[in-house]
Amino acid sequence: MSKRSIGLLAVAGVVVAAALWFTVALPGQGSSPGVARTEDGKPNLNGIWQSFTTANWNIEAHSAEAGLRPELMGAYGAQPGGMSIIVDGDGTIPYKPEALAERDTNFKNRMTPKITNDPTRFDSGDPELQCFRPGVPRANYMPYPFQIFQDQNQILVVYEYKWSMRQIHVDPQMEAPVDSWMGWSNGKWEGDTLVVDVKGFNGYSWFDRAGNYATDMLHVVERWTPQGPNHLMYEATIEDPNVYTRPWKISFPMYRRLEPNVQLIEFNCVPFVERLLYDPLGLYFPPGTRPDEER
Amino acid sequence: MRIAVVRKVVVVALVVVAAASMAVLMAQAPPSGAKPLAQELTNTDAAIKAAAELAKREAATKDYAVPRTPWGDPDLRGVYLTATYTPLQRPAELANKPLYTEEEAVAAFKQAVESDAEVDPRTVHYDWKEYSMDAWQGGARPNLRTSLIVDPPDGRLPPTTPEAQKRREAAQAAAKQRNPAAGIQTFGNTYTRCVLGLGAIPLMRGGNPGADSAAAAAGVTAEVQIFQSPGFVTLVMQSNNDVRIIPVDGRPHLSTKVRHWFGDSRGRWDGNTLVVETTNFKDRRPAVNFQGATDGLVVVERFTRIAPNTVRYEYTMTDPATWTRPWSVDSEMPRVEPNLIYEFACHEQNYGVINVVRGTQIREREAIAAGRPIGGGGRGGGGGE
Repeated sequence: MSKRSIGLLAVAGVVVAAALWFTVALPGQGSSPGVARTEDGKPNLNGIWQSFTTANWNIEAHSAEAGLRPELMGAYGAQPGGMSIIVDGDGTIPYKPEALAERDTNFKNRMTPKITNDPTRFDSGDPELQCFRPGVPRANYMPYPFQIFQDQNQILVVYEYKWSMRQIHVDPQMEAPVDSWMGWSNGKWEGDTLVVDVKGFNGYSWFDRAGNYATDMLHVVERWTPQGPNHLMYEATIEDPNVYTRPWKISFPMYRRLEPNVQLIEFNCVPFVERLLYDPLGLYFPPGTRPDEER
Repeated sequence: MRIAVVRKVVVVALVVVAAASMAVLMAQAPPSGAKPLAQELTNTDAAIKAAAELAKREAATKDYAVPRTPWGDPDLRGVYLTATYTPLQRPAELANKPLYTEEEAVAAFKQAVESDAEVDPRTVHYDWKEYSMDAWQGGARPNLRTSLIVDPPDGRLPPTTPEAQKRREAAQAAAKQRNPAAGIQTFGNTYTRCVLGLGAIPLMRGGNPGADSAAAAAGVTAEVQIFQSPGFVTLVMQSNNDVRIIPVDGRPHLSTKVRHWFGDSRGRWDGNTLVVETTNFKDRRPAVNFQGATDGLVVVERFTRIAPNTVRYEYTMTDPATWTRPWSVDSEMPRVEPNLIYEFACHEQNYGVINVVRGTQIREREAIAAGRPIGGGGRGGGGGE
């Protein structure tokens, strides 16, 4: 074999390798390396994901603390410390003064649900304590996994907590027909980022157990950007002119759950909260049947 | 005295109903530019005609080439109505008649629709049709079958085992021990408690409007969205937003230690048919599983798209602790629009359960005072499991 043909082969080899490299690295239209893709070239977000922050206790920076019933719950009821997930300003929520006072009242009454047969029941108590839907963005950083089911025109997200779900409408998009806990989500792809506009909230959900909250004017714009095969960055811009002085932003990574047999396990919490909610009304244990009552 | 009170209550109720109807009628007058409601939503004759024509057209589809998803699975995607006017069990007067003729099927459908559309003024509950929630408004169609059950061939549930009969007697005896028995948990109705919706598994249970409150509610929020993604089929129910996640990737069932309200489902494709086997049901006591089954129940469902707007839905129920033999249903789910499910925050706004349980407690105290027997478990309207 002449030197020239070896040279040609080497050149051909480099060309083939380069072609293969591009095929492997750029299987679709995007550019993030190692990101799996769907038939239409979009990042493939299908799978079970979970974020690992302590934001469900408090999205702002917080120390570890004992829980509300330490005589009963000990370390079980305690909260872990953690960093703020708010990535702009000083890491706190830019509340208007009166709204900040309301947040503090929420915190004080977080374990005091008020059960009535009218909407004032939502005035007191953390919705999570009562097994209410978590809303957005809270659902994304609760300490439970969630599963993304991705079709081209609709993306379904099912959260293990309460088995709550939301549909992200890609095509057709539409206005929220009615207010709801999880809001109404319209999604579009910007390069490899899934951008989801969420509006139509009913204003009852909280961001965490610390009482941080929004009203029904809440508007969340989420950005889900894959960083590789097994993690993505989640970012959300949050605005609500009723309670904040300006829009603010949170961000944290989400990780793919890699156990080969991983699956969501039903967390239907309604039966878990019936005693908490209905016993004070005499509706859980019928009269004369309480275990600690004289019969 | 008592009659006078009842009369007063009825009058008040009628006034409320009349006011509500007026509000609905006024709401139905479309503002300029708005689309008026379709005839099929307001007029039973128009609905019956449209449903019969659609049923005929879909039945005429032969050798339907099932479309595929972008990743190559048979395409079942869409929202389907799970309500039907066909009863689960064949009525006695139709013994030995598994199938209607086409004319008979339309006549039976017409009768069911008209009885569904009628509202008994004594019913202190909603007129579902004012909310477009009657099954005939939601896309129900005539059915040639006289019952959903096709096996046993007589169209009836098989006899229960002696063990199941003992269970039922024990439950009734236990209910009598609890006086007064009504509390949230002993109330026994998972739908009223917002624990479960009107039926995530099996999806179609049969209706016989007028027979009982559960059947009358059969058309209410009876939609299921079949959502497909690679390796999964997910069923999202309108009722209570119940969700069933079905892996279709060959993985084994969960450990028997893990029990789910909707069981643990595993799917596989058999040609164009999605076959789903569900086990690992949760022990629901004091509530009951579908038709009194135990948590040892095994449900096998088959989903086949047989026409552009029709999925054939079959299931077989096996529970040797409850029935002397398995039994099977063969039915059809009509595809409906739009292709989305709305939020159904049942527990959050469950104002009703407070008054329902309180009312039951009062009724029971009155019954005891009057020396009348009080009811057993399973009280409260609206079906459930």
